[in-house]
Amino acid sequence: MVYYLSGLAILLGINLIAIWGLDLHFGLTGINSFAYIVFQAVGGYAAALTALKPPAAYGSFETYVGGFNLPFPLPLVAAAAAGALIAVPIGLIAMRRLRADYQAMAMLVLSLIATGLANAQTKLVNGPAGLALIPQPFAGVFTLSRDGYNWIFLGLTAVCCVLAWWVARGISRSPYGRLLRAVRDSESAVSALGRNPNALRMSVLITGGALAGLSGGLLVEYVTAWGPSSWLYPETFLFLTALIVGGRGNLAGGALGAFLVPILIVEATRHLPAFGYPGLIDSLDWVAIGAILLAFLWFRPKGLLPERKRVFRPAGGGPGAARPRAGLAGGRVESP
Amino acid sequence: MTLLLSIGIFGIYSAALLAIGGVGFTLQFGVTNVLNLAFGSLLTACIFIEYGLTGHSTNLWVAMAVGAASGALISLLVGHVVVGAFLRRGATGIGIAMVTIAISLIVQFSLEAIQGPFIFAYTASTPSTFSIGGVVVSSSQLTVIGVAVVAMVAVHLLLRMTKLGLAMRATAADVSLTRSCGVSPARTRAAAWLLSGALCGVCGVLLGIGEGSFSSSTGSDFFITLAAAAVLGGIGKPYGAMLGALLIGIVSQAAAAVISPSYKTIAAWLILIAVLILRPQGILAEFASERELVA
Repeated sequence: MVYYLSGLAILLGINLIAIWGLDLHFGLTGINSFAYIVFQAVGGYAAALTALKPPAAYGSFETYVGGFNLPFPLPLVAAAAAGALIAVPIGLIAMRRLRADYQAMAMLVLSLIATGLANAQTKLVNGPAGLALIPQPFAGVFTLSRDGYNWIFLGLTAVCCVLAWWVARGISRSPYGRLLRAVRDSESAVSALGRNPNALRMSVLITGGALAGLSGGLLVEYVTAWGPSSWLYPETFLFLTALIVGGRGNLAGGALGAFLVPILIVEATRHLPAFGYPGLIDSLDWVAIGAILLAFLWFRPKGLLPERKRVFRPAGGGPGAARPRAGLAGGRVESP
Repeated sequence: MTLLLSIGIFGIYSAALLAIGGVGFTLQFGVTNVLNLAFGSLLTACIFIEYGLTGHSTNLWVAMAVGAASGALISLLVGHVVVGAFLRRGATGIGIAMVTIAISLIVQFSLEAIQGPFIFAYTASTPSTFSIGGVVVSSSQLTVIGVAVVAMVAVHLLLRMTKLGLAMRATAADVSLTRSCGVSPARTRAAAWLLSGALCGVCGVLLGIGEGSFSSSTGSDFFITLAAAAVLGGIGKPYGAMLGALLIGIVSQAAAAVISPSYKTIAAWLILIAVLILRPQGILAEFASERELVA
């Protein structure tokens, strides 16, 4: 039971990082990030390939490139870096001035092509069978029970979560974050004020991509296996549903969504007494996620914790003007 | 020579399937201006409904009629009722995309929950085969090509010779002008959803019979190839979709024959991405993307 709960807490942390990254893309900047799972997948592969020993060390039962056998923090760094790098080609597609629904389709296809390539190129990451036996951090350093190791990994996840929170909160509260919101709400105003919306989009794609990559790296190190069937395109909509349910554009909303959707609906039901054929509960989970997404889009599109309205009022001006805050130029303040 | 001939014949067979579905998809988009990302799941639903109702006793005409009827019904429900309700609430591009994807997830995984992750096969009939210049073709594949030709001629006649076709083309071109001519856009859109669903059902049944087997993800995989055909031809243009289907069909068969079978779909998908990036208006026709979404 303790093992189960600490495992759930680890998965919650991993999902939290991923959902905050998606919130930077979709919630804050309004980028159509329907291929988001690819960032996580690439991060996972980067962590796996840097942590594994060369294929020959395992009797060559799987084939892949790399296998650098790097010590603990480096695979996670590689994961975040890979997530940031893949943002560049994905960003070039996300930048195109397409209708939102065309772009959604382009992103879905991108996600499918990535899966198709991972399946077709068996030499690259072992094809459809995926990678296994990925070494965990500190493997062999401590001799710990299964439960004890989970606590160590939970600590590591918590550190990564705090890091992700610090990055996302810093961006969200900074002038840069205000610019990103402006890209979402009125792109032409951003252009008119002399900022380049596409450069802003690309920068946030890279930051959010790094968070997704980090979450992928953690996930792979925790479950020690990674294959194309772990990151099929619907997984993006797991995160997206979590964000819509919790409330996009604010960190608390993302956190609530991370708890409600991937943990409460997907992970918790995985341990129900099995009924029907194998995989039935998974299928029902996906039906529930689709239904929840539809229901929230209809009844509460802003989510359970809506993003607070940010209104600019002249300082000391008309009724309801906010108290001026020190350090803000131009006599305009942002009311809380 | 045999290789070229087989690429040509199987390319035309793929194109026939793509054209039936692609015209349905693109026609509905042109009239209603909603990109229906649930089309693939609806296609699978039609196969399963037809398989469940008529089962193994595959009389092709009964199967197609059942597929068309169920497709039309689900399409009307999903598109005109559900998506229409969101549109009346003022949902826009990305919101509608999420709505159709949510519907797609619900339909696809409901089918998987009911039927299981199994592969179903049409076992009853062993189709007779012919040899055309050394290439072995089954009779069901020739039937698919025949049905596609008939369906394309029928769509052409509907669009050019009937009042409904005129109303559809007019709604696609200019909604307010059409309304002022006394045509109800709502009714025309409902007809477009019905027609699209019927073509979707026929396409699904033919896909199931032509390939011989299907599973709960058949439609979603096929949909992307079908969307590639529609987008390549200029989305919203039925004649463009026919041309796009022919190109995608032959290119994907060539990729399968020359590189490896696993690249059959990847080739089509890469074309779709390339067209979306380089020429989203398609190879035919002018761009009509700035139209607003209305219910």
